Amino acid sequence: MSLSTKVLVVDDSIAIVNSLVAILGISGFEVDTAFNASDALRKIHNNAYDVVVCDIEMPGLTGLEFLSKVRIEFGRELDVILMTGYLEHDYFIEAIRLGASDFIRKPIDTKLMIRSIRELVQRKRSRSDLADFYTNLDRAEFSFVMSPQHFSKYALSKIFSTYLRQSFKVAPKAMNELLVCVDEMVYNAFIHGTLKLTTNERAMDHNHLKTLIEDKLKEPDISSKRIKLNFSVDNSSRCIEISVEDEGEGFDYKYWLAQAKREPIAEIEGHGRGIAMLYHLCECLEFSEAGRKVKVRKHLGPDSHNEAV
Amino acid sequence: MNIELTINGNIAAMKIDGILNSENAHILQEKLAGVLNSGATTLELDLLDCRNISSTGIGKILLFYKDYITKGGEIEVVRSSNSVYELFSMLKLNQLFTVNLG
Repeated sequence: MSLSTKVLVVDDSIAIVNSLVAILGISGFEVDTAFNASDALRKIHNNAYDVVVCDIEMPGLTGLEFLSKVRIEFGRELDVILMTGYLEHDYFIEAIRLGASDFIRKPIDTKLMIRSIRELVQRKRSRSDLADFYTNLDRAEFSFVMSPQHFSKYALSKIFSTYLRQSFKVAPKAMNELLVCVDEMVYNAFIHGTLKLTTNERAMDHNHLKTLIEDKLKEPDISSKRIKLNFSVDNSSRCIEISVEDEGEGFDYKYWLAQAKREPIAEIEGHGRGIAMLYHLCECLEFSEAGRKVKVRKHLGPDSHNEAV
Repeated sequence: MNIELTINGNIAAMKIDGILNSENAHILQEKLAGVLNSGATTLELDLLDCRNISSTGIGKILLFYKDYITKGGEIEVVRSSNSVYELFSMLKLNQLFTVNLG
């Protein structure tokens, strides 16, 4: 595994960015830059950085707003050092609450900044033993069985993304596509396979649909059903296989798979869009068990850390 | 996922950040209902920072589209990320309304 450290410097001051690029570069870090927080957010969605160094006072999104968005999307996984010319008590408390990894006061003490980056990376690497363990396995397999009553309580795609990010090196584009695939598969198993909701029911406004789902979940033949989610990662091929199985009646998957393979047409009320998306986003899409089980296979994308060496 | 909506006269501008999926598509549905009930005749969607959209999210946009064009409204995707642009092209939604990349 590569030990190079990727740092993203975010500041609207070209002079500060240039000077940090020079100093951090000499110190052996691989440095990328952004001149506003929106640009920085786009960059962290497409690149794997170890640490982000961000100014608090910037036009547009501030450093604190940026930090808040990073924490929503990535949890505590990505370290963010905030730079500020002044450190008022309220600002400081808010930054701590949002999960800032460290603060550097302006004018910047570069020795302090380099030490802070190194300590954060060191801490992150000792946390990543689990990721190393999974990455060095030939194959890892996971299996989950979910009750429909508990399904709505959790943001499953967030749980899945946090787990994958912490355990495997998944390229950002592949991760985004995987999250959509998992959402399609599990949502279909819940809405169609388990609850048997009609098109009109699904088009209801949120509150009515929520009430309808709560009522359906009280029915014994629905509450006794289970949704099974399995995924396995093969490290030699860097592929993930995900399968979702419900206990519903299945569907005419052969017809819908054939439809997905055809050139789509622009339809407002078309059906089978989810299957078409799975077909186009994955290398392999298979149905079995009369349509109750769907399996996809997808490449995890380039291992950006290793590629950087 | 975060949605910012501003309505200024005839123009409704909506910016969606993050991944739009089945867990949060109802938020979009509520925002779109707000546009439908406003006087705005054009919805400008900024999807540059939208990393992907599931079929549930697409479904909400198209249900809105159907009602909106009936009332004489128009949709334009003024900016989109590569992933969203590819998705809209794949589903041929760019035949229903203008979809700009980047």
